[in-house]
Amino acid sequence: MIALDVFMDACFAAVAAIGFGAISDPPMRAFPRIALLAAVGHSLRFSLMNYAGIDIATASLFAAIVIGMGSLWLGRGIRCPMTALYIPALLPMVPGIYAYKAVFSLFMFMQSLNDPGQGEEFMNSFFLNATVSLSVIIMLAAGATLPIFIFKRRAFSLTRRRPDKQQQ
Amino acid sequence: MKTEHELVEILDFIAEYATYLLGSGVHTSRVIRNSQRIGVALGVDVQLSTFQKSTIMTVRDPDSGESMTRVVGIPPLPISFERNSDLSALSWDAFDDHLPLDEIRRRYVELISKPRIDPIFVLLCVGLANASFCRLFGGDWTAMCIVFTSTLVGFAVKQRMQAHGVNHFLIFIVASFMASMCASVALRFDCTSEVAMATSVLFLVPGVPLINGVIDIMEGHILIGFSRLINALLLIVCIAVGLSATLLMVKDSLL
Repeated sequence: MIALDVFMDACFAAVAAIGFGAISDPPMRAFPRIALLAAVGHSLRFSLMNYAGIDIATASLFAAIVIGMGSLWLGRGIRCPMTALYIPALLPMVPGIYAYKAVFSLFMFMQSLNDPGQGEEFMNSFFLNATVSLSVIIMLAAGATLPIFIFKRRAFSLTRRRPDKQQQ
Repeated sequence: MKTEHELVEILDFIAEYATYLLGSGVHTSRVIRNSQRIGVALGVDVQLSTFQKSTIMTVRDPDSGESMTRVVGIPPLPISFERNSDLSALSWDAFDDHLPLDEIRRRYVELISKPRIDPIFVLLCVGLANASFCRLFGGDWTAMCIVFTSTLVGFAVKQRMQAHGVNHFLIFIVASFMASMCASVALRFDCTSEVAMATSVLFLVPGVPLINGVIDIMEGHILIGFSRLINALLLIVCIAVGLSATLLMVKDSLL
């Protein structure tokens, strides 16, 4: 049952990544790899959160590092820079529901100005949700960028033609 | 040694190339690296510093010591990872094969005139993506169908308004209002209506500038990184405004 849950999560993440990626016009040759990266990353986060009890920000960091490493490895074959692969793959992990709850709490806070008790509750919930969404976004970008700093040379020459192809 | 005319031509090309990349959502350090790589291929030294709306760049001929500077505006282009990949590859080709300027320019024009992905295809993709996003957040099948439909409406509105060149803040407000309004239909059904409402506007979230901004800040281009983040934040505020308009109408049935 766990395997099925993780598999379904991976599939939906892959579809989400392809769809949101399509807005930013990635090269057609990159779609399968974006889907693969998103599926691996999101299902990793899903498992870490649900079966290992890790919080969402830390789990996102690990997933983002895996996606970043994967894009370094997969980008070579199709001459794509890392960002063209990992940004679409990260998009399904953007914490939308927390952002929505933050907006909703702020909105409800403004509607309950006459009731301080209720207003405080909404303000609490606003800060909680805004903090989670902000830290997850920073963790996502930072984690995926980490491999660039570690493997500078390789990361900067992904779009270079391979030496063996040049000789042909 | 380069003649003044040659230097001007090189500067003009690199200015066009770098601003095109910056306009299509490439993070700053890559733009600088690519431009400098082309500069090396053409035998000049290139330095550039960039802001949100304009770039200052200097091209220097190391043999004669002559240099030239230009301030160039950055055109507002749609984000494109395909252009990012292709133009990065072009800079490596220029570097490895020592291509002359005419050849680089010819390939550049060829690459930027490639057709983009079909808008209808993108529309369907985004609909499906948002529906699966709804699923990831724990929505059920009814909610997914509603999100799919409302995303189609919202994104189509966005595409049409973009084609007419409407101000992009306005586009985000209207699209977010339309999408969430359609998704509020979910309140009438027995389903996870809150998830449906929440995910219906998520296709608008400017994920690429957000992530690019953090990358820029981490790589030391803090000013432009913050400019990107603030730009993205403004768009998110616009999404919130559109969403609030819907909430104002339906809040009684939400609580």
